[in-house]
Amino acid sequence: MDTLSRRRFLQLTGGAAIAAAAPMLTLEQIAQAAQMRPLALGTPILVVVTLYGGNDGLSTVVPYKDPLYYQARPEISYAPGDLLPLDSELAINGSMTGMKALWDRGKVAIVRGVGYPSPDLSHFTSMAIWQSASPVHHTSSGWLGRWLDTQQRDPMLAISLGSILPPLLAGNNVAGSALPLGGIVVPTGSLALDCQKISAATRTDSKLMASAATSLRNLFDLSSTITPILQQPAPQPLDLPTANGGVAGGNSDLQQQLDVVAKLIAAGSPTRIWSVSLGGFDTHANEKGAQSILLGNVSTSIARFMSQMRGTSRANDVVVLAYSEFGRRVKANASQGTDHGTSGPVFIVGERIKGGFYGDQPALSKLIAGDLAVTTDFRDIYATIIESVLKSPADTVLEKWKGRTNFFAKV
Amino acid sequence: MDLQRLEIARLFQRFGFGPKPGEFANAIKAGVDATRSQLLTPPTIDHGLSSISDPNLSDLGSFPPPGTPARSAFALSMKSQRRALILWWLDRMALADNALVERMTWFWHGHWATSIGKVEYALPMYLQNQILRANCLGDFRVQARAMITDGALQYWLDGGSNTVAAPNENLAREFMELFTLGVDRYFEIDVQAVARALTGYRVIRSSGAVTFLPKKHDSSSLNILGSSGTFNAEGIADLVVGKDDCARFISDRIWFRFISSSIPRPDSNPIQAAFAQRDISKAVNAIANSNAMSDPQYSLVKSPVEWFIGLCRALSITPSKLAKPEQVINFLDKLGQVPFIPPNVGGWPYGEAWLTAAGAQYRLQAAQFLLAHGDISPISTIPSAARFSAMSDFLGVADWSLRTERALRDVLDDPNRLILLAASSPEYIVSA
Repeated sequence: MDTLSRRRFLQLTGGAAIAAAAPMLTLEQIAQAAQMRPLALGTPILVVVTLYGGNDGLSTVVPYKDPLYYQARPEISYAPGDLLPLDSELAINGSMTGMKALWDRGKVAIVRGVGYPSPDLSHFTSMAIWQSASPVHHTSSGWLGRWLDTQQRDPMLAISLGSILPPLLAGNNVAGSALPLGGIVVPTGSLALDCQKISAATRTDSKLMASAATSLRNLFDLSSTITPILQQPAPQPLDLPTANGGVAGGNSDLQQQLDVVAKLIAAGSPTRIWSVSLGGFDTHANEKGAQSILLGNVSTSIARFMSQMRGTSRANDVVVLAYSEFGRRVKANASQGTDHGTSGPVFIVGERIKGGFYGDQPALSKLIAGDLAVTTDFRDIYATIIESVLKSPADTVLEKWKGRTNFFAKV
Repeated sequence: MDLQRLEIARLFQRFGFGPKPGEFANAIKAGVDATRSQLLTPPTIDHGLSSISDPNLSDLGSFPPPGTPARSAFALSMKSQRRALILWWLDRMALADNALVERMTWFWHGHWATSIGKVEYALPMYLQNQILRANCLGDFRVQARAMITDGALQYWLDGGSNTVAAPNENLAREFMELFTLGVDRYFEIDVQAVARALTGYRVIRSSGAVTFLPKKHDSSSLNILGSSGTFNAEGIADLVVGKDDCARFISDRIWFRFISSSIPRPDSNPIQAAFAQRDISKAVNAIANSNAMSDPQYSLVKSPVEWFIGLCRALSITPSKLAKPEQVINFLDKLGQVPFIPPNVGGWPYGEAWLTAAGAQYRLQAAQFLLAHGDISPISTIPSAARFSAMSDFLGVADWSLRTERALRDVLDDPNRLILLAASSPEYIVSA
């Protein structure tokens, strides 16, 4: 597969999600050991938040003093008074009060104009590029999956919330685990023994059957370690009111996902990477209201999570990375929405982060065929994270990538 | 491996939703060619479907204001219509004597992946299903013409709000990228021009009715994929579907879902030539008759609906007739695949993405639920000693590994458990 060009691969798959590489693990004893070996305090933990659909960067980090912004999208632009200014040129969406509070504490790095060379406007191609970190040649592995390949096999090492594994956690040899929101209920008694029998590894299995067998075995390994933890209450957010009204319509799914992550981190789960996601950013029509609700959701969920972490001994260990597959066209369309565009801002949040702006804001006066320029390659961010959070040489994941974005505070 | 058994198992799994009791054993007796010809020839009237009536759907009109009693009643009607729609289709998949039409409609639903999550109303989704159903084995040109002005698809991809003043490119892009040509087989200027050609269509969401307003249509001369002229939606469909890249793309998509999601289609496979006139039936017959069908390397993971319906067929279950049919939708939701609710316009995941520990858990629970309601007499009424060899025909499995054979032989005295284990085994989850 690796020799296929991306073009050929996407034509073959029609853009559907990339399959995970085979989780060919034999984990039986490791899962039990996981409970006995909580993650060492001080070990950095990465939480990846994927925003599916193409988040409109110009409605997220708004050039609120630039007349060109108001000219390009009169009906969906935000008046200065509805925004939260970060400096004399840029403001964040008015719904992002939680993020603004973290920014004021100096804990948010915003990298501007992030993308990759020759931006692709297809959701599927572009998300595949971000998740594989390979813009030219198709690679079936994800960037974090390739990091997993270099680690000792452990189903707890990287966990995605939800029942389907995102491609970013699929390595060439191993893959992260998927955890449904409700947690896992392990079969017991004779059914458990039967299931272990039919899922035993056998040399005659084809690759797909071996993966099917592994998934059933992993159910037992994961469940024996995770189920007791999920029964614990979520950590209390330290400095947020407990009944704050929240987002209309009850808990967002993102918040539920991050609640589970918070519980498991607090319990010492030996997990270095968590993956959560929120969809709905493909705002071709009636964008303004929807965009505010979505961004409010992201901001509230992350702020709540960071606050929960501050009530644990892991507050300084956690780094949150939020990104989307592309930004949107500068000029609005007639449906009060925006079509697919190019670069957008990436957020990195954590106690160890040196807050502020990184990368250049793409100028509205210097558009490329109506789209924003790319001023920072996303691989600069990935490389920095691999080194500073995952404590590994960036070369293991991004061959010979030189760029870095130094958003970590010096220790 | 017994290649004849493998090919027959694949014919049932991939061009249907698995065998009903007794069918597989008969097919083995009849041989590969007779089985293929039977499975690929839908009857004029399918008696398995005679008990299913069309879902009772009506145009619910626009949303009443929030907070009013009318709004609550409206929400209830909407919910019950959605449920009726999903169960109606699941029933058809489970009961059809010849499931090829259901299987092809299922393929095209994943291809033109439209979600009721955005459309909300059941009626337009039903009407789209009727288009796919009527054209599932016919002329792809006719299918594409009907789909480009289908109300649910138009709404899903913002077609209704695409105007001359500021075109909305969503439908234009996905029409070429995902439905007809494949990515990178057009330029950005083609996307922009197609978006202009698709202006002037208005959708009434609750009914799915689409009207064409000539005054709102961009009738200027456009250059699209090397052809210039004025175009409307049908003209775009004809132009794009006529391109050679369309035959290549659709052949790849059929290969991907019916033969292999990991190994690319070899040029030697006859499907693309068979699709030259855009005849879907010819393409499907060509691929089903090709040597790929008996080549062991081309295994596929069954998607949750395929796995679930296969079990319903073996156990003679009518999903809507279960005591709590909403449980069926709940299980499929946990497994990650509910008809009419694809995750995005790219369609369903595939392959190992379905093979997670979470999926394993929900498959076990779903199988237990179905076994509690299904007819296990084809296994329970035969002597224990005969059950192991009967199991592979009952579920349409080509072959068991020694590992699974041992596990099944340990529980021959308990037919419920025997079927539960077999249905949860790697050999049943994967189409070998």
